[in-house]
Amino acid sequence: MRDKIVYLLGIVAAAILAWNTWAISQLPEETAQGVTFKIIFFHVPMWAGAGLTVTLALLASILFLITKNFAFDALAVATTEVGVAFLTAGLVTGSIWGRQIWGIWWAWDARLTSALLCWILYAGYLMLRHAIEEPTQRATFAAVFNIFAFLDVPIVFFSIKWWRTQHPQPVFWNQGSFPPDWTRHFMWNMLAMTLLGVVLTVVRFRQEEVQREIDAVRRTAHAF
Amino acid sequence: MYTLIAQITQDELAREALRLQHDYEFLTYGLIAAWVVLAAYVLMMIGRQKKLKREIEGLRAMVDEKQGR
Repeated sequence: MRDKIVYLLGIVAAAILAWNTWAISQLPEETAQGVTFKIIFFHVPMWAGAGLTVTLALLASILFLITKNFAFDALAVATTEVGVAFLTAGLVTGSIWGRQIWGIWWAWDARLTSALLCWILYAGYLMLRHAIEEPTQRATFAAVFNIFAFLDVPIVFFSIKWWRTQHPQPVFWNQGSFPPDWTRHFMWNMLAMTLLGVVLTVVRFRQEEVQREIDAVRRTAHAF
Repeated sequence: MYTLIAQITQDELAREALRLQHDYEFLTYGLIAAWVVLAAYVLMMIGRQKKLKREIEGLRAMVDEKQGR
């Protein structure tokens, strides 16, 4: 039953994305950037999804260190991995937008550099987990590293406020503006990405739990 | 209005068409990149699910073998 709900949510997310992609294609061109501007409908929700998942990973890591409950470790891995997928998609879509609007694929400004560092830190977290064999040690080191990695997240978020960056200023806060019917489609994509993030996290969380059970059974089997 | 349209040269029209084509090209690249990254991750997840299934079957076979002895 639970599986069915999860897969149903996945189908709903995919359906919203498919319908909304078509709806966004029907919207008029943006005055300054033309149709390339429409990348924002996918780029920002992906970053929002990444922000949400890495925040959950931070909470799960803290809870693991407090309780030593391995379910929190599994949640931290699941959310971080989904976060890295969103971060990758966010970086790639941003780079493609930059190539058309700025004429360059990449700029070493504060937002882009801190965002790349964020990706490297969380990818490093996933690699660190593969490097440690002993489960308790692996989960503890990974949780500490995850908390350390999160220090970069507020820097990514506020970099466009704190420094003069090539990256545009926010559209939704700090005196930005977005037409109401565009906001509606943007919010549909935010909802779809959040649903997708939830579905992927739940599936990955279960995989991690099954993997831990398999490892435990294997260790017991080898002990006898 | 017709006077304004008459002032637009063929060159300007061609430039505008080229700009539009270029814009759509990059929008398409952006969308494809976003979906490819997410699809690759979903495929990775399916692959891992299959691997876990194989591991469970292997363990079941091992347990059955030990019980058979």
